[in-house]
Amino acid sequence: MEKALHRQRILLQHLQPSSSQTSDSPAISASICSAGEAAGYHRKPAFDDDVVIVAAYRTAICKAKRGGFKDTLADDLLAPVLKAVIEKTRLNPSEVGDIVVGTVLAPGSTRAMECRMAAFYAGFPETVPLRTVNRQCSSGLQAVADVATAIKAGLYDIGIAAGLESMTVNSISVVGQVNPKVEIFTQARDCLLPMGITSENVAQRFGVTRQEQDLAAIESHRRAAAATASGKFKDEIIPVNTKIVDPKTGVEKRVTISVDDGIRPNTTIADLAKLKPAFKKDGTTTAGNASQVSDGAGAVLLMKRSLAVQKGLPILGVFRSFAAVGVDPSVMGIGPAVAIPAAVKSAGLQLDDINLFEINEAFASQYVYCIKKLGLDPEKVNVNGGAVALGHPLGATGARCVATLLSEMKRRGKDCRFGVISMCIGSGMGAAAVLERGDCVDELCNARMVPTHTHLSKDAK
Amino acid sequence: MPVFKTPFNGYSVKFSPFYESRLAVATAQNFGILGNGRVHVLDLSPAAPALTELVAFDTADGVYDLAWSESHDSLLIAAVADGSVKIYDTALPPTANPIRSLHEHTREVHSADYNPTRRDSFITSSWDDTVKLWTVDRPTSVRTFKEHAYCVYNATWNPRHSDVFCSASGDCTLRIWDVREMGSTMIIPAHEFEILACDWNKYDDCLIASASVDKSIKIWDVRNYRVPIAVLNGHGYAVRKVKFSPHKRNLLASCSYDMTVCLWDFMVEDALVGRYDHHTEFAVGVDMSVLVEGLLASTGWDELVYVWQQGMDPRAV
Repeated sequence: MEKALHRQRILLQHLQPSSSQTSDSPAISASICSAGEAAGYHRKPAFDDDVVIVAAYRTAICKAKRGGFKDTLADDLLAPVLKAVIEKTRLNPSEVGDIVVGTVLAPGSTRAMECRMAAFYAGFPETVPLRTVNRQCSSGLQAVADVATAIKAGLYDIGIAAGLESMTVNSISVVGQVNPKVEIFTQARDCLLPMGITSENVAQRFGVTRQEQDLAAIESHRRAAAATASGKFKDEIIPVNTKIVDPKTGVEKRVTISVDDGIRPNTTIADLAKLKPAFKKDGTTTAGNASQVSDGAGAVLLMKRSLAVQKGLPILGVFRSFAAVGVDPSVMGIGPAVAIPAAVKSAGLQLDDINLFEINEAFASQYVYCIKKLGLDPEKVNVNGGAVALGHPLGATGARCVATLLSEMKRRGKDCRFGVISMCIGSGMGAAAVLERGDCVDELCNARMVPTHTHLSKDAK
Repeated sequence: MPVFKTPFNGYSVKFSPFYESRLAVATAQNFGILGNGRVHVLDLSPAAPALTELVAFDTADGVYDLAWSESHDSLLIAAVADGSVKIYDTALPPTANPIRSLHEHTREVHSADYNPTRRDSFITSSWDDTVKLWTVDRPTSVRTFKEHAYCVYNATWNPRHSDVFCSASGDCTLRIWDVREMGSTMIIPAHEFEILACDWNKYDDCLIASASVDKSIKIWDVRNYRVPIAVLNGHGYAVRKVKFSPHKRNLLASCSYDMTVCLWDFMVEDALVGRYDHHTEFAVGVDMSVLVEGLLASTGWDELVYVWQQGMDPRAV
């Protein structure tokens, strides 16, 4: 350490020369950084035990019952993405310590069996275990958090977090036998509200107009269409070879699905204005400004940074923090407005430090509310469209947001450093995760003119 | 313009005197304060303007400077922060490297320079206040020059006179030495503060540039060393390296802790010819190619190596 201190002294002398000619070295001692906890500036070092994401892929998202995956079994949706994260990284599948799949609507045990079968289809050996996780709409993101936590805790070194939902096979259903206690516990009763009613509650309580919701919906479609057209999703979508059965003739056809089929690029405000409210008379939530019911899957490969460097894998992103919060079930849509600040704080950052957001557009009402409440710049949120245009396959959404967010951050370059994924959760919760752009992605894309240098730390201003 | 990202913080960059598309970069982990080092040999592929790595050598401590051999096209001298001088042969595999490790300096070796006229010897300067003369074939130094009172940051050979070199030290003096003489032949109290770099003019063998912590670069004529010929102000912080152009008599390049690389014409009133602020951390290494006129390379603590043509934007794609 003496050597290090001596070198620091010499360097300090270059920057703060003492006027005396003698080599009167200034005393150097370690002190707490004066910028404090607000460390968005490149003060976060890369530690070898960071949990990093080395691959994130998704299937296309298709309309349930009518879209490209309407005749695809759920396990046939999951297998291709599980296979992709292994093939693209040339990882030996037996090295994976666990696979955690977020999946919501299907009966728990049956779906867990199907996922285990999907792992076999994808070429995983019997030695790799698998489990499912269900925190409603955040299940995909919860899976990522669970795997990251397990790696951090040392349970295993490499894990796959996935998300899967086939809303063709399973639809949102009402709780069968309602417990009479709901007469007394209003919040328990509110858990049973249809999601659309919670959207109306948010719109009414927080004053989100039909106009605002429709405009947000159009923007979502426009951005998703632009992203698809410019080929932005090509890096993250895994083509799936499946079949489509013609509903009239019953003829089976082999197809390859690689494009999101829910996007309507030519939607206009007039088209949306014609739609009737879907959940409440005189309401503002319509089929046009709500997320679509969809089929899709996604998978994310996580490991310790030291392992990724050793294997020579490009680091796509770094898992920084995750927060799940609870909110009033009757306005479950406000979840992100509470979860995002919690996750950002837990990552040691401030909201201003976040460069890109993926906030699930379960309903345009809650999405618009969250942006307004947090004061976010709309140019930083859902830049490639959201669930209104792409669709919301419940369990898969979290994992697919990881793929979309990290791909976009990689494209944007070094100054897009932190990203947040967040969603509201039915029954009154919210979840959010902070991811950091990988610092060793393969291509260097920082060749941009910087008008002014803003590299002074906050304490220098 | 091609950019290369090194895993460690850059310290020095030197063009090869044999191949116009080859350059070497000295890097050190954690800004050279603690950790390992690495020497990268890069190639400027003409087809796609990109810098690709040909070979890299790891060292136990940071590498502060490099010098290409003038006699063998594959030999490289590395000045390492643990006090050793390592000789690498890029033609041999990394396992056979370094071919020599010379450990005589007692503190960090800050610079290395190869004799361009004699081609058989090189000098290294160190924070142990000495400059040592070596030849590639001998296992020990030929001579040690010990007169400075503080770290010797830079020592450079005179491009015309094969036995004359200049050293820049933290004791605020420049010393001119002749290897055939007993002690230093001239002492120039060039600045009030530490002098971090010196370089000889390639066209006038009596002119030396000195770069100092006082943010200025002074041009001295050794025949009249009391008053500088020119004082170049413009850097915002200490000037780290200075290099005279091999192609233009009056042009020199400098890099500084203010994160810029500047080009100067010292014969002109307003001397600053160009300023490049592509680095986002201290710019500590700069070199001008002998084989390609106008080609500049720079590196800094932001872990990037830029190679660009004078007049163009280093960050342009």
